[in-house]
Amino acid sequence: MSSVIVCPSCDLAHRVGMAPASVGTRCSRCRAPLQRPENGNIDTAIALAICALVLFFLSNAYPLVTIQVNGTTRATTLLGAAMGLYTQGHAGLAALVFTTTVVGPFLQIASLLYLLFPLRSAREAPGQNTIFRLLAQVRPWTFVEVFMLGVLVALVRLSAYARVVPGVALWSCGLLMLTLAALTSRTTPGQFWRWVDRSRT
Amino acid sequence: MSEAPTGRSLGLLVCLQCRATVRALQVPHPRCPRCYAHLFQRKPHSLAATAALLVCAAILYIPANLLPVMYTRTIFDDEQDTIMSGVLVLLQSSWPIAVLVFIASIVVPLLKILSLGVVVFSVWRRSPRYRTQRSELFRMVEFIGRWSMLDVYAISLLVALVQIRSLAFVSVGWGALAFAAVVVLTTFAARTFDERLLWEAPP
Repeated sequence: MSSVIVCPSCDLAHRVGMAPASVGTRCSRCRAPLQRPENGNIDTAIALAICALVLFFLSNAYPLVTIQVNGTTRATTLLGAAMGLYTQGHAGLAALVFTTTVVGPFLQIASLLYLLFPLRSAREAPGQNTIFRLLAQVRPWTFVEVFMLGVLVALVRLSAYARVVPGVALWSCGLLMLTLAALTSRTTPGQFWRWVDRSRT
Repeated sequence: MSEAPTGRSLGLLVCLQCRATVRALQVPHPRCPRCYAHLFQRKPHSLAATAALLVCAAILYIPANLLPVMYTRTIFDDEQDTIMSGVLVLLQSSWPIAVLVFIASIVVPLLKILSLGVVVFSVWRRSPRYRTQRSELFRMVEFIGRWSMLDVYAISLLVALVQIRSLAFVSVGWGALAFAAVVVLTTFAARTFDERLLWEAPP
């Protein structure tokens, strides 16, 4: 048995086997990833999502960094970074930072949990298709890894003038970055719909 | 050489959301039977939208690099930093970080605008050459584009932290907004572009 799939990047039709690919394949013409191998089961994905949710709350609840200059200390949280821009009249920039570091990761984790929990017991969440499309829209706007590097740059710039103390949120944010990367690679659209198709049969 | 079978020639559509391949139906606005996303043979107005967003980004790249992104006021002096002068400041404390910021904030946006420009121009000319390379260039650009937000985050953190009255005070400059706009516009430009246009048969 075989079926035909079309490459989303160059529209070339490929004949493929019916069984899920055991190795990733690439389009023979444009070399874009065509099929991704089956990776992990749904429980691993849920565990990672819960882990990410806990790390997300830690990252927002505790200060990211504290600086000490001449006996004065000042700390900021993840939210504080966006708020600082807002109080200086840069609402647009604040919204962008807030969206990419707080709203984006949260929506990604929350919508995945909402979709995967019912799917685990072969049921489909109400509004599954809408939430899935929302997830696809949100994913490119999660910049946690870039933010982490941005924090590093800011710390290097400050270290010449002040004593810099990393906070709890800095560590949890670093772990969140790794967890989100693992979660994203395990819940590709192809893998998600494979779970859905399997629950329907 | 015979034409390779494509989705278009076989009457098949691929859903860009869930990647299901489905038979094209002759209805006005087809939707994916699996995830209910809109299906397109090609993304609508792809080339025009990408080109327009790209021109905006290219124009904003100029103020993004010339206007100050950050003002620093200390008891000793007042300073203003552009992206480039920020890199030079970093160079004194740690060169690997300085190189990183230089690549992420200056090289990456420029590379992104130029590469998308090349891709859009070649599609407009329907050039049949180096298609695989252009396709890979486009995907690479999409992947590295996000890293140019680096400086915006660093500035936002400095603004939040360095607010010690009478000692030091950091505020944001309009350059940062122009810079963030370049990142957002180029990201949208890459998203509205339909890669399949690269593989359209020459006239």
